Amino acid sequence: MPDYSTIGKSIQRIDGIDKVLGKSQYIADIDLPGTLCLKVLRSDVAHALVKKIDVSEVERIPGVVRIFTHVDIPGINGYGIIVKDQPALTDKVRFKGDAIALVAAENEEIAKRALKLIKVDFEKLPPIYDVWTALKEDAPAIHSRGNILTVSKIKKGDAEAVLNQAEVVVSRSYTTQRVEHCYIETEGGVAYIENGILVIKVSTQNPHYDRRDVARVLGLPMNKVRVIQATTGGGFGGKLDISVQCFLGLAAIKLGRPVRMVYDRQESFVATGKRHPFFIDYTTAANKEGKLLAVKVKIVGDTGAYASYGPATLVRAAVHATGPYEVLNVDIDALCVYTNNPISGAMRGFGTPQMAFACESQMDLLAEALGISPVEMRRRNILQQGSITATGQKMNKSVGIGKTLEAAWEKALQVMPGLGDERR
Amino acid sequence: MAEFHLEMKVNGKPIVLDVDPGLRLLDVLRDILHLTGTKEGCGEGECGACSVILNGKLVDSCLVLAPQANGQEVITIEGIAQNGELDSLQKAFLEAGAVQCGYCTPGMILAAKVLLDHNSTPSRLEISKSISGNICRCTGYTKIIQAVEIAASRIATKEGADHA
Repeated sequence: MPDYSTIGKSIQRIDGIDKVLGKSQYIADIDLPGTLCLKVLRSDVAHALVKKIDVSEVERIPGVVRIFTHVDIPGINGYGIIVKDQPALTDKVRFKGDAIALVAAENEEIAKRALKLIKVDFEKLPPIYDVWTALKEDAPAIHSRGNILTVSKIKKGDAEAVLNQAEVVVSRSYTTQRVEHCYIETEGGVAYIENGILVIKVSTQNPHYDRRDVARVLGLPMNKVRVIQATTGGGFGGKLDISVQCFLGLAAIKLGRPVRMVYDRQESFVATGKRHPFFIDYTTAANKEGKLLAVKVKIVGDTGAYASYGPATLVRAAVHATGPYEVLNVDIDALCVYTNNPISGAMRGFGTPQMAFACESQMDLLAEALGISPVEMRRRNILQQGSITATGQKMNKSVGIGKTLEAAWEKALQVMPGLGDERR
Repeated sequence: MAEFHLEMKVNGKPIVLDVDPGLRLLDVLRDILHLTGTKEGCGEGECGACSVILNGKLVDSCLVLAPQANGQEVITIEGIAQNGELDSLQKAFLEAGAVQCGYCTPGMILAAKVLLDHNSTPSRLEISKSISGNICRCTGYTKIIQAVEIAASRIATKEGADHA
């Protein structure tokens, strides 16, 4: 192999030295003189119409500069990476933690005091905390389009017919939990006006998309908005969504002063996206030799109050439902459903880890039913060169999963002595 | 509220301040002394991002009130490199790929520093225990533990050479 300067070598991170010295400037470390502190009033009910917001007591507090509500949004009050369904400041609450009012104050203490004095009248609506209630025909609609956001289907062959005749059929239901990314740096940003351009420095994974949504919500042309990603203390998919960006932009353009907003841990937990909880009904058929014949899966993903990356997560779940195995007959439905739960969005693996749990559990159960080892069960079905995936893609280049399986098995035998003694 | 007269040593320098006694040591370091290498992750002693060394012991600076640091010696991440030369732990963290987003890194390095100051030949278990109060969400800890092992072996080699 030729001697390259970089390829094949372990190179040091470009930002490594500053990070080990503690010199890197994350958002909370940026010191901008004259900066106002922003805080959001979040709903303590899950589903309600906002009838009245009374800020009369708050405006009298010295140091409170301005309170913003949905009426102050200059552009289109809806953002979102795939579906623009999330208001920056809402007049309809769809989860506990929805943003209702934004306070700009001279310091954090005043801003926190102000939040307690804002009075909101709600017309409460029945909250929906699970996907099954949301799917009922007479369920209250969380969004005007209804509670089913998307349905993704993958159909190949005749799964139903094969399932009815197969020698071994395993059918189980699986549920997975909501998970918070819990990056050690919470969301935060600063914004200011520079030469007539709104500049937002933010802890984000998605500056280009942020810019588009901020311009939309604020009614600004794209060339008047600049988003700069600050050194970001972890994201794992959770910082792909808008968090503080629209709040910062709104206050900065309306007040003409630099503004700052950093979520504390509680707000980061309450307000931002999670991993989708999945509800999976999984049926697998195999022949006596352990060869998979058919898979039928129904997946319901709880995307919570707003779409975020939900539709893409459920497409990914459907695509990966058969795992790294070849199955000729496939019948997969994946529903992305709104509830009044916290928002679910992108998180490491994007729907795939949930499906791996279900699919691999099925493989173990099939192996048990057939009396063959779990690793052998996988060997007999693993994707290889020439295999066709559930979506009909022919794997005509190299496929590494077989080698990965053997390497993992070898490692397992090393670290778990005795594992290979029986039935393997 | 009456201000508190705070005298302490931070990274070897004497500091004299009159502060609100309700401030946390973390606030004094970050907001008054502008030593922002000390991070706030949770504000309740769970994550260890705000770790500093107080009189030789690792503490969460979000759980220490400023007056409690009076008369004490504080070391932050900014006080680890000596004369522009990275500490062996800082070098090892870079070398092992133990730094990703970097937000836990200052606390991790300080936790490991306290360990190595007391025990220059730690076992893998002792290393794990020493950083058990510090959460990292990127690395899965493997590289961090490797980095501490690298630093420990360098220190041992150097000590061996010094005694030779």
